[in-house]
Amino acid sequence: MTTRLVPSRRRGLLIALAAGALVLASACGYSATPVPTAAAPSTPPPDKSTCTTTKADLASYPPNIHAPGPTISRIKKAGVLRIGVSWDTYLMAARNAQSNGISGFDIDVARAIAKALGVRAELDVISAGERQTDLENGTLDMVVREYTITCDRWKHIAFSSEYYDAGQKVLVRKDLADKYAGPQDLAGLRVCAPVGTTSLANIEKVEPKAIAVTAQTHTGCLMKFQQGDADAITGDDTVLAGLVAQDPYAVVPPGQRPLEDEPYGVGMNKKAKDLVRFVNAVLQQYAHDGQWERSYRRWLEPALQVPAQPPTPDFSRR
Amino acid sequence: MSQPAPVAAPDAAFVDTPALLTRWHLVAVATVIAFGLVSGVLQILSWQSDGRAAAETQQLVRVQGIKSSLLRADALATTGYLTAGLEPTAKKQEYADTVNGALAEIADAAEAQPADRAALAALNQQVETYTTDVAQAEVYNRQGLPLGIAYQTAASTQLRDDAIPIVDALVKANAQRSQEAMGGQHPWWLLLVGILAIGVLVLVNQQMARAFRRRINGGLLVAAAIVALTTLVTAIAAFAHAHGNNQTEDGAYREAVAAATARTAADSAKADESLRLINRGSGQSYETDWSRQSKQVDANAPSADLAGWRTYVERHRQVVALDEDNRWRQAVVLATTGDASGSTAPLDRFDQRMQGDVRSAAQKATGDLSSGRTLELLLGILTVLLGVVAAVMVSSGIAARRKEFL
Repeated sequence: MTTRLVPSRRRGLLIALAAGALVLASACGYSATPVPTAAAPSTPPPDKSTCTTTKADLASYPPNIHAPGPTISRIKKAGVLRIGVSWDTYLMAARNAQSNGISGFDIDVARAIAKALGVRAELDVISAGERQTDLENGTLDMVVREYTITCDRWKHIAFSSEYYDAGQKVLVRKDLADKYAGPQDLAGLRVCAPVGTTSLANIEKVEPKAIAVTAQTHTGCLMKFQQGDADAITGDDTVLAGLVAQDPYAVVPPGQRPLEDEPYGVGMNKKAKDLVRFVNAVLQQYAHDGQWERSYRRWLEPALQVPAQPPTPDFSRR
Repeated sequence: MSQPAPVAAPDAAFVDTPALLTRWHLVAVATVIAFGLVSGVLQILSWQSDGRAAAETQQLVRVQGIKSSLLRADALATTGYLTAGLEPTAKKQEYADTVNGALAEIADAAEAQPADRAALAALNQQVETYTTDVAQAEVYNRQGLPLGIAYQTAASTQLRDDAIPIVDALVKANAQRSQEAMGGQHPWWLLLVGILAIGVLVLVNQQMARAFRRRINGGLLVAAAIVALTTLVTAIAAFAHAHGNNQTEDGAYREAVAAATARTAADSAKADESLRLINRGSGQSYETDWSRQSKQVDANAPSADLAGWRTYVERHRQVVALDEDNRWRQAVVLATTGDASGSTAPLDRFDQRMQGDVRSAAQKATGDLSSGRTLELLLGILTVLLGVVAAVMVSSGIAARRKEFL
């Protein structure tokens, strides 16, 4: 007599089920690969000023084209003037595709100074953050790079007299330009400025309903503007002029009152007073003989659509 | 109503031998069937695991290939930017082919691993943004407008900050999966299951020997021999396979991963070199990253290929020296020329060498992981069948005792 433990059909079924369960358990899918989220870029706060810049801070040393001094002697002996400039600020200092060199309003100023010294201009491309340190440590003889004269900077370096009276303005889309009368019209609009600048705070003071958008640079803002992520851009009118020249749908509405003055000067080492006097004399001549106006008309006027005069220099610093 | 018949009290010495036999039969048959089933399934699981290891390694190589392709594309785009409209047609075509290759690899990877689909879809979006920005940069660059610099820099930054972290997550997930799958052999479990089954059979044999005054039951002995032999063969096979997998992991697999890492870092370094020249005056930030990438190449490239890399490093230093000496145009010429004297040619050669190294090491790794899988499956099926044969032997051995009793 044989004993049947479990009916054979049921036993086969159980075995198949157990094996199937084990195989299935092993073949179950993986959990989905996590998709990392992009980290928000850090936004350094704007530099805090320790003093208030006034008209008196625009005063530089009296001009002297024949100023004797160690700095000028050294430069003439070397036969080269090392000038720190920008590379990507269109119309002020940017690569010229034809010549592969650098050209713009700032570059005209820089070349005029080198020419007056009778030496070769060596244009060293630097970032905005390098301006002061390169002058302090003597890497550069001067900086012509949209350098705003402030009381804070005077503590570390010396400035020439003001050579361009820039101001913070607003660039808008072409279809908004006719209706734009001032920052109060920016309510509900997305206004872009580079991170770490005071430009957006100046806008928010006038129109708190403006929506702040940031980018790393002004050209980064123009990218956002073109991609529909910003309706307006704020910054120095010289920079905005460069943006307008690159985008036919961007306009700096004429007749704007600057939100803040940005007086540009040529930066030099604090001890190089002989060079500062020389540069002031060159700038005075540059304005007097019409070179300034010719340069302005060539580079900035077509975009800004307003005529301009060279600023009145103040040489009262002693 | 009649009284029920009195029930006799059970004799304390009475042994229900047929019932005992049935119980032993049940235990022994269940044991050998369970042995066959569990050992067989363990081997089938290992067979599946090896298959997964090969597939996951292929997927890992695929996603690393995507990363290499994207950074290669960036190296080509940024170098091309420096030459503006005078870029050689072959390089332009290589950029298009590299991007298309990356997109095809993304589609293949999504097909191969459903768990990667969401990440790959996000990556696809990032690649689209990247190529759009590069195209915009090219348009503005041809017009000589610095807005092109912004688009090219934004494209390269977005690639590194947004796209590459997704590829890195894919690399990490697939490396983890393939390494886990490579450890899918269970030789100790096979041994344990076999020893347990033999132990139960010995126990049943002892019980029967006590009841029937026969030391060894022939059926049980044959069943135990089948279990022992099967356990020995399958455990040795599993140990050998596990050892082979370890060797593959430490050998071809690591070589493939290292060569892919070196290739990716080399192309990233070349892109840094171009970006420092595109963003004049901001060279140091790109130089810092270049040094980081260069260390990655040194740490991962096969030593036989490092000579080629060092040639590139030397040319790169010349590019930096020229740039720092304010001879930017000469630096650009050295960085973009296709001549053997420039920095592009040794980098291209190194890239091709690494590509070849990745391909051959990956083929070897997946080949090694796939080899012997058929035998593994056959052994698994055979183990289940041998469990059934052992059950038949147990039944026949116990049936013989039952006949003796009757």
